[in-house]
Amino acid sequence: MAVRIVTDSTADIPRDQAEAAGITVVPLTVFFGDEAYLDGVDLDNAGFYQKLSTSKTLPRTSQPSPAAFQQAYTRLIDEGADAILSIHLSAKLSGTYQSAYTARDTLPDTVKKIPIDIVDSQSISVGMSWAILLAAREAREGVGLAEMKAHVLDRLARTRILAVLDTLDYIKRGGRIGGARALLGNMLSVKPIISLKDGEVVPLEQPRTRSKAYARIARLVQEMGGVEHVSLAESDDEVGQQLAQVIKTVYAGELPVYRLGAVLGTHAGPGTAAVAVVSAKQD
Amino acid sequence: MQEKTSYTPVRTQRPRRISVFDGQNLKKALLAGAAWLEVNREAINDLNVFPVPDGDTGSNMSATMQAAIREIVDSDDTSAATIAARVAHAALLGARGNSGVILSQILRGLAAGLDKKQTFSAPDLALALQEAQRLAYRAVLKPVEGTILTVVRETAEAAQMSAQRGDDLVTLVQEVVMAARQSVARTPDLLPTLKEAGVVDAGGQGLCTILEGIWHYVRGEVGATGVAASPVHTMSPEMGVKKGRVTIDEEFGYEVVFLLRGEKLDVEKIRQAITDMGGVSTVVAGDEKLLKVHTHTERPGAILDYGVSLGSLLDINIENLQEQSLTYAAESEAEHAADQDKPATQQIATVAVVAGPGFENVFRSIGLTAIVPGGQTMNPSTEELLKAVDAVGPEQVILLPNNSNVMLSARQVAGLTSKTIYIVPTETMPQGIAALLGFNFEADFESNCKAMTEAAKNIQTAEITTAVRTAQIDGVRVREGDYIGLVNGNLAIAGQDMEHVIHESLQGMHIERYEIVTLYFGEDVTRQQAEETARHIKEKYSHLEIEVVDGGQPLYAYILSAE
Repeated sequence: MAVRIVTDSTADIPRDQAEAAGITVVPLTVFFGDEAYLDGVDLDNAGFYQKLSTSKTLPRTSQPSPAAFQQAYTRLIDEGADAILSIHLSAKLSGTYQSAYTARDTLPDTVKKIPIDIVDSQSISVGMSWAILLAAREAREGVGLAEMKAHVLDRLARTRILAVLDTLDYIKRGGRIGGARALLGNMLSVKPIISLKDGEVVPLEQPRTRSKAYARIARLVQEMGGVEHVSLAESDDEVGQQLAQVIKTVYAGELPVYRLGAVLGTHAGPGTAAVAVVSAKQD
Repeated sequence: MQEKTSYTPVRTQRPRRISVFDGQNLKKALLAGAAWLEVNREAINDLNVFPVPDGDTGSNMSATMQAAIREIVDSDDTSAATIAARVAHAALLGARGNSGVILSQILRGLAAGLDKKQTFSAPDLALALQEAQRLAYRAVLKPVEGTILTVVRETAEAAQMSAQRGDDLVTLVQEVVMAARQSVARTPDLLPTLKEAGVVDAGGQGLCTILEGIWHYVRGEVGATGVAASPVHTMSPEMGVKKGRVTIDEEFGYEVVFLLRGEKLDVEKIRQAITDMGGVSTVVAGDEKLLKVHTHTERPGAILDYGVSLGSLLDINIENLQEQSLTYAAESEAEHAADQDKPATQQIATVAVVAGPGFENVFRSIGLTAIVPGGQTMNPSTEELLKAVDAVGPEQVILLPNNSNVMLSARQVAGLTSKTIYIVPTETMPQGIAALLGFNFEADFESNCKAMTEAAKNIQTAEITTAVRTAQIDGVRVREGDYIGLVNGNLAIAGQDMEHVIHESLQGMHIERYEIVTLYFGEDVTRQQAEETARHIKEKYSHLEIEVVDGGQPLYAYILSAE
């Protein structure tokens, strides 16, 4: 049985790694003014941050169209997929999940009917990428859809994402503020630590400096006890390295580092660094 | 009020011995004590060790005493126990500043000692003073000698000896006053900071002054309507006592408070009638001759009309709450929207004492639930803190006093509210901000109390103000009008040059160990001046990140924090 894995560009899995793992990535769209770019396709990360720093207008982002998902699903079915597991960023942050859902339910009758399960990860970026990469491995090993989906949901439930932002401004401007709306912000410069809870942005703490924020994140990682995996996402090398250094003081395992893509870059702003911590299975 | 004050003291011929006092005697004695304290308020303010323009001991004690006697000034009750109990309760709520809280405990002890007594004799009063000193000591975590505590203890001892000798009330009170005066005079020997500053303890002097006022009455030097009859005027605006303004969103309409004097007033019936007229959170308390009414309503006129139909109204106070709550309507709406599926941790409210509109904005911007204005100019009363704590939604409240002189009032709140309350012992506003920034939105109450207390410790505060009097403290000589720098509440430097004072204060904070300085400028400083100051600091300490924030605080040109 061949199960194929689909996700979207906010998983921040680099293109070559996705290709090698057999993961299909459907891109979101980033607009600078009237110019539209497919995330990770027309616009790579370096290009995005370059544009972000020079563009007068702030970028906007948009979910993939149902047609884009239909195209991806149809191609995989044509290639002989028996089932598809489509894993996406939190439905509370984007219409991507909804779009995938609509795509599945409106597939033309000409396309062969196979099971397509769509998962709302209630997370984003490295918060979902580890679960997706492991699912892809299981797919190669021939694990069935139901079992694979159960593993993905279990792993997502054990994943906590912690991000330090340079400012809350971007996240507010994008309206993805969630529970952080209680903070009216920018009277004082703080480096807010945010997380996702039930798919929504929640504020955790508000340290004044980056070094304190990193130390707090390391402490929070430590307090989680047994850890299965930690990965890191950065908007630039400098902040990524700083956070990695601090994380390494409390976590000895491998620490893969990913670049935050354009969509997250737009909503979290430059200077964002995040870790996703998957706690060890309890049993 | 003025004409009531007797310019020629009524010297009634009193018997040399008084063996028993009733409630009315006690009332008049306390009124005389309060009045004498009020007369001497400024002199007591001048005794403050620190030459900083803060909530002064004289003002705090007098405000507390005035709040206490307002509850009895019109009472005809002849029971000493009733008068003492009412005074004690009112003082508890009206207490301002640490000295005010201790004074309220002394009055509480007095009431406990006079419990169930219609009248009292010299031995009764001696016992009551024992109870007063016991409760006063208990109010303070680490009692320090050479303060009001020493004075109340030594007066209680003197009272006991006097009673054992069989003295009457006149003699006992005289002994008490003599002991208090001697005790006050000795405070500099017990407390080196007093000696260095060349003053006696202000709180002790305040207590001594009240006792002197009482002695005047006991000796018959003030008549029934003498000096003591003009206490209420001190609550007028010129004294600077701000009515508690608690900015929370539940309030609406008008807050109506008045005293009602009449005959055969029925507390229950009146409460019901006011509630029927649309009064919300109505409190009616008192007896059948005098009641205090406190309610919230959209139509204050109707309730006042009703009051007039029952008797005469006194002390009417109407505040428009709508005006205040409108300002924050948008914010509260956002909060309510966010509240719907809140984790348990959103059930924690944070309340802080804050001075200055800029600081209010900062505290709100980082998520504070409610503000009690005050701190540096006027310490809020226990009642104002209590109201704020009771008014916020959540049952768990973390309180940030932000001033060492608000600490005891804050601790009193814990005993008065039914809510779970924790006080993070913040002594400055930057400490309060640091504590609030350490608040974790996902953690439970206990972890947050711990984390916030920890966070407050990791910050250094310097405060720059102008000396209000000449003094010498901790080896620093201060002349009136000098700029002075306080580091974490301790006087570090005084001088004519503001720049110099700021730099010395930064040195005192060990600024080389910190990375970020926040410069909050006060209401008398422009942003341009503050930016200029920040530039000068940056020139000397290039490693620092300096943030200039409009604090809008009164009296303090700058408040700096380093972390």
